[in-house]
This record gives sequence, C-alpha cells and structure tokens, in this order.
Amino acid sequence: MFGFLVRRVLAVIPVMAVVGLFVFSLLSLAPGDPAALIAGDQASPADIERIRASLGLDRPFLVRFGEWAWRILHGDLGTSIFTNLPVTTMIGQRVQPTVSLMLVTLVFAVLVAVPLGVVAAWKAGRLVDRLVMGAAVLGFSVPVFVVGYLLAYVFALELGWLPAQGYTPIEQGVGAWLANLVLPALTLGLVYIALIARVTRATMLDVLQQDYVRTARAKGVAQGGVLFVHALKNAAVPIVTVIGIGIALLIGGAVVTETVFAIPGLGRLTVDAILRRDYPVIQGVVLLFSFTYVLINLAIDLLYTLIDPRIRY
Amino acid sequence: MDRRTFLKGSAALGAAGMAPQFAAPALAQPAKVLRFVPQANLANFDPIWGTQYVVRNAAALVWDMLYGVDAQLKPQRQMVESEEVSSDGLTWTFRLRPGLKFHDGEPVLSKDVVASLTRWMARDPMGIMIRAIQAELAPVDDRTFRWQLKKPFPKLLLALGKNNAPCAFIMPERIAKTDPFTQITEYVGSGPMKFARSEWVPGARAVFEKFSDYKPRDEPSSWLAGGKRMLLDRVEWVIMPDPATASAALQNGEVDWWENPIPDLVPLLRKNANINVDIADPLGNIGAFRMNHLHPPFDNPKVRQAVLMGMNQEDYMRALIGDDDKLWKPLPGFFTPGTPLYSEAGGTKIGKGDIAAAKKLLAEAGYKGEPVVCVVAQDQSITKNMGDVTADLLKQMGMKVDFVATDWGTVGTRRASKAPPAQGGWNMFHTWHAGADCINPAVYPAIRANGDKAWFGWPDLPVVEAGITEWFDAADPAAEKAAIDKVNAAAVSGGVYVPTGYFLGYQAWRKNVTGVGKGPLPFTWGVSKA
Repeated sequence: MFGFLVRRVLAVIPVMAVVGLFVFSLLSLAPGDPAALIAGDQASPADIERIRASLGLDRPFLVRFGEWAWRILHGDLGTSIFTNLPVTTMIGQRVQPTVSLMLVTLVFAVLVAVPLGVVAAWKAGRLVDRLVMGAAVLGFSVPVFVVGYLLAYVFALELGWLPAQGYTPIEQGVGAWLANLVLPALTLGLVYIALIARVTRATMLDVLQQDYVRTARAKGVAQGGVLFVHALKNAAVPIVTVIGIGIALLIGGAVVTETVFAIPGLGRLTVDAILRRDYPVIQGVVLLFSFTYVLINLAIDLLYTLIDPRIRY
Repeated sequence: MDRRTFLKGSAALGAAGMAPQFAAPALAQPAKVLRFVPQANLANFDPIWGTQYVVRNAAALVWDMLYGVDAQLKPQRQMVESEEVSSDGLTWTFRLRPGLKFHDGEPVLSKDVVASLTRWMARDPMGIMIRAIQAELAPVDDRTFRWQLKKPFPKLLLALGKNNAPCAFIMPERIAKTDPFTQITEYVGSGPMKFARSEWVPGARAVFEKFSDYKPRDEPSSWLAGGKRMLLDRVEWVIMPDPATASAALQNGEVDWWENPIPDLVPLLRKNANINVDIADPLGNIGAFRMNHLHPPFDNPKVRQAVLMGMNQEDYMRALIGDDDKLWKPLPGFFTPGTPLYSEAGGTKIGKGDIAAAKKLLAEAGYKGEPVVCVVAQDQSITKNMGDVTADLLKQMGMKVDFVATDWGTVGTRRASKAPPAQGGWNMFHTWHAGADCINPAVYPAIRANGDKAWFGWPDLPVVEAGITEWFDAADPAAEKAAIDKVNAAAVSGGVYVPTGYFLGYQAWRKNVTGVGKGPLPFTWGVSKA
C-alpha cells in the first residue's frame, strides 16, 4: 500500500509537467495579446511593443517556458500581468468561495441523490422510480443558468428569503456563509444529483439481485437494513467513483454558477483571466485544477480499499 | 462531553447562527456605505498604465487633478489656486492650493506635480503633443511650478482637465517616477477617497474610504470641477459580470447603484417603486465600424462610400437598444451631438440604407468579389449586435463576407495588425466611442487620418488632417467650428470610419440614494444615502 502511494504521488510530477507544457504552448498559440489590451485604444504600435517587452512577452517561447517552469519548481506561480498581484494571492482570495460552493453542493447532492437512487432501484419500474428518473433526466438537461435565474427569482426576489448574489466568508458567520450558498448549491446540485442518482439506481439494481441480499431478506432483515446496509455498501464503489469524477463537473458548472450568483470564486477568476489573456493566472489556475483532479483520483483509489477489503494494490 | 452532547450542542449553535440570516438575508448595511455595481471589473489600478474607462472612474475618486472639466466642457481650477500665462503664450506658471495632502499625510508639492505630468505626457496623446513642444517643466517652489513651451499650446488647460483617459492625475513623486509602461504598486492620491488596498479582490470588489483631510473647493461640484464633497464614508464596488444578477441585487436592495443596466432590463427596473432609472451620460456614445484603408476592397474610396450609403443607422440602433426611441438618434457626422463642435457638414449621405445606390457604386468601384474579413467580438453585446447587422448589410450589397466571430481580446490584438486580411489581418471591426471622447479632435484619436500614425484602419486623408490642424490653431469658437465642419465633411467623404448612430445608456439606483447626477463618469461626490 505504501509503495502504491509513493508511486501515485511520484506519478503526479510527469502529469503536471505535461499539463504545464500543454497549457503554456496553447496560450502561446492562441490569438490575443495582453499588451494590446493593456495599452488601450490610443496606444501606438511602439507603446504596445514596449509593454510587451516590459512583460517579457517578446522573448522566445522556450526561454519563457524554462523560466516559468523554474519558478513553479520553487513554488512561485508568478505575477498577474493585469493586477500585478502574485498569482498565489489571487488564487488564495478565490479558493474559499469555490471550495465552499463545491462542498455544500457535494454534501447536499449526496444526501439527496443516494437515497433517491436507492429508492428508485427498490421500486424499479413503478411510479416512484419513473418520477425519480424523470426528475434526474430533467435535472441533467436544464441548463445551470436557467435553474439559477429561476431560483433567484423565486427565493430572492419574490419571497425575499435569501440573497440573490454574493459570498460571505465563513469567518463572518456560518449562517451568513450558508445563506449565500444555498441557491448556488441548489442550482449546481441538480445536475450532480441527477448523475449520482442514476448511477446509484443502476448499481443497486444489480446488487439487489445478488444471493447475499436474498439471504439477508430470508433472515428477516428489515427493508431499510437490506437496502442501506447490505446492498448499498456493496454498491458503493461505482457510486464513489461517480461522486469523485463528478467533482470535475462541479468545477465546470461552478464557472456558470459563480457568474449567475456573483460569487468571487476560481471559476470567474479563470474566465476573466482567459478573456484578458492573463497568462500567469491561467497557467496557475489550470495547474491547480489539474493537481486537484490527480488528488481526487488518488483519494478515490484509496477509498476503494476501505469500502471493499478485497481490493488491494 | 460525550458524543451525543457534542452533536446536540453543535446543532444548536449552528441553528442559532443561521437563524437570523435565513429569517432575513443580510441586506442591512451600516449607514453611509454605498454599494455600487461598476460597468466592468477593476482589473488593475494605474490610470496612466491602463486606459480603461473603469480604471479612470475609480482613479477619479483617489487621485485629484490640477483642473477638471465641468458640465459645460470647460476646464476649471481644481488643485490649482491660480495660473499665469506669459503674453507670448510660452510660459505658464501655476500655483497649487494651500493645504493639499496625500493620503499618506504628506503635503502635495510641485515636485509631485512635475513627476506626475512627466509620466502622464509619455502616454497621453495630448501630453505627447505638449512634450514635443516643451522647453522645461520644473518646480519653482513647493507650491509653484513653471511650464515653458517652444510654441504656444492654447488648449493646455483642457489637456490638464479633460476626462478622457489617461487623465492628468497627480501622484506622489516617488510613485510618479515609475516607468510609464510599468504598473504602479502604491495607490496614494490626494482625492476625496482612499483606496482600501487590503480589501481589493480584482474581479470581485474594490473599496474606497472617505479621506478626512480632503479639502473640497468652495464652488458647487460640476463633473470633475468644483467641490468634491464626500457625504459617504465608504463606497464598495461590487463586480457583477451578469446583468440579470445585478438587476436582482438592485431590486433586492443588496446594491444601491448600477452604472449600466442593459436596455432589456430597464422596463423591469422601472416597475420597482424603490428604483430610479435615468440617462447616465448626456454625452452618450457613438457606434462605429472601421474599414481597413490599407487593403482591398476598402483601400478604394468608392467602396467605402458605397458602404456608407448602404448602411442604415436605424438598423444598428434597433439592434443595440430595441424600441426605446429616447435612447438613440441618427448621426450624420462624427462629433458628439449637443456639444459645441457638433457638425453635420457633408453628412447627408451617411446611413440612409440606400442599398440600390450602394450596389451601383460598388459596381462602379470595380469590386472584384474579395472577401471582407469582418472581425467581431461576440463577448461585447454592442459589437456583436452591430457585427450581425453589418454582415447582413454587406451580403445585401453583394459583398462576400468572412465573418470572424471571436472575443474582444483577439479583436484588440488583430486590429493592430497591418498584414493583409488573408494573412492574419482584417478588413473591418466594430467598436464604439464614448461621446466625451468625440467632442474635439484633441481627445478623439479615431477621427485622425494621418496614415501610419492614425487609429486602426490607418486612413490617410490630408484634407481631414488639414482641418484638424486648423482647429488646433483656431483663435476663437467661430474659427474652431469652421475647422470642424471641414473635418466632418472630409471624414464623411473619405470614410475615415462609419458612425452607426448616437446612443445613450441608462443608470439605475435605489431611491434612498440621492444626488446621483449625469456625466461621462459616475460622480460619487455629492451623493448620499438615507
């Protein structure tokens, strides 16, 4: 197990190197010049060139990539071209809202989706099943921004129960923090619930046909015990996998959700940076996301061994 | 404590913490805090290095100017107590008001002004013109400085007080000595508000706090002139990229003032009894698309004329702002309506939508079916809507259109390329100009037609340039107007660019906010909140 852990951690290095090279190359090939954007409408070509030089953008690709990689190895993600702030500072300012949104969404979605999936499998083919699966298809199909606007209209504008936008750091009170996250988490959670509920149902249907479930029922175990102890535990591996992979969906969906609810998270930071061609910020955020994915995959692999003792590395 | 007790206690604490927020969302604010939704993100904060309007607007709170234009477009003294100009117009001597202080407590001295103006002159078009005729700019004493020129520059005070970016903001010498092409890292000014650097989250919020040592002038405020009296303790800029979200926040009382609501949402805001909606900037905007004069087909003046005849300004304006006729008017020229130099000379041919005549002229011009590379930023609704209309227009005229849908970042770079369209260049792009930037040639680079030195599209039309020179040399308003008539007629005839119409924009604010005025930027002085 320890050997597996070491191998997986070491594997992160080449993955991150390839991601870094890929992102750096892509940005170099993409049209758009931050110097032209900074210089503004009244600048002469000479002004633009001077700004490019001051930003170091006039140097050869390999030189810039080498310097960037060297800085990364020393834990320095560079400085934003536009704000002149360290990229780590900018990411640090934006991490909490995004992580908060993802955590609340994740907890909410798992608490709702898993029982729904289990119930749908239990009542397979019946009205409850069809309702749950119909809702899941709807949840997956309706665009995030439509759900967001609808929720904001009903719960913020019409009922006045919750704020329509913004983010309150958790240090300023759990209630205020949560109040700002309810609508975005509901919005983002619908997609996620649909995904998890469908996988849970499918996996549970398979498990419920197994002999040990029949045995448990024959022994007189209550229905809840059969479903949530015997069956669900054995269906957990695919469910955990889809929850983990679904975090990637959450990051993608967070870009839209953060915009609709004006949450200053990493999603908005990324979009703003792309539109401005703020290369250091884009590179920093992409590296962070990539690293997060790698860690999530590692965590899922480790969780397998806890859920199913037969799995060994 | 056992596990059960701990869980119960945690649950109770959580519920207690949450209850008030759920019962009533955190909408209440301390008195004298204004929450403002600006037009765009404050991504950087050096008003000389970056020239975006949003940076200029924030900078006007933090940095003061020697002069400021008022609502009559006249420069008035601001940091300056008095000025003297020699009879030959070559030597200007300025004296600063007493008691001016920077936010760090240091007095504003003439050496600060000299350093600030030197940095500004390196980046501003009018500043560059002054620098070219400057003999010396130097302090005389702590409150006096002298500017010696080799040639008279009658519009010097306008240059120092204009609201076009970059404005001549005054910074401490140590900051102003920063290379003009490198961003400053300290935001210390002597204006009515201090920038709360520690609270700045680019893309999310920017905060300004009242500067208690600021001494406003005695005169009533008028745009950038007069007494900038801050009645608010704090102004919080909340960045909201999505208009529907900003609209909801304003209706909900989570923000107080929204700088630029989109026309689609204005009827909704008007229905709310707690919200005022009014025109924001009386100088409005001029929609525009530019043709590249360097390459076929628009290197041919007849082809440019054909486009001017074929385009219909109403089509563009309806695409931009819908059916609200109060918000737009046709513009048979290039200068801002309602300002002293507005001209319609020679403008009768613009924007009538005469497709038949346009086709005929195009045939006479010998158009050979070259594709027109039309570069359009889809992430700016103004340019996107205008681009769609233009693509349709060119097709109706029988031109071949290569429609390049992209983002503003790419347009910003591509339009600077002089390469042929097939090799990464362009034939046409869309933009718009703030009306405040189109009031005279000194602040209006888009009207220049001096070839290589001109704005993107590089028109080379000596008649336009001759008119502009006449305006700079004009001794009185009548001579200025005559010169501008020449410029306007020549710009129409040569197709410097294509004005797609004149349009205004709204602003919206809660009714408990008073003192909101109209102007080319959102002036916060004189604004209060109940």
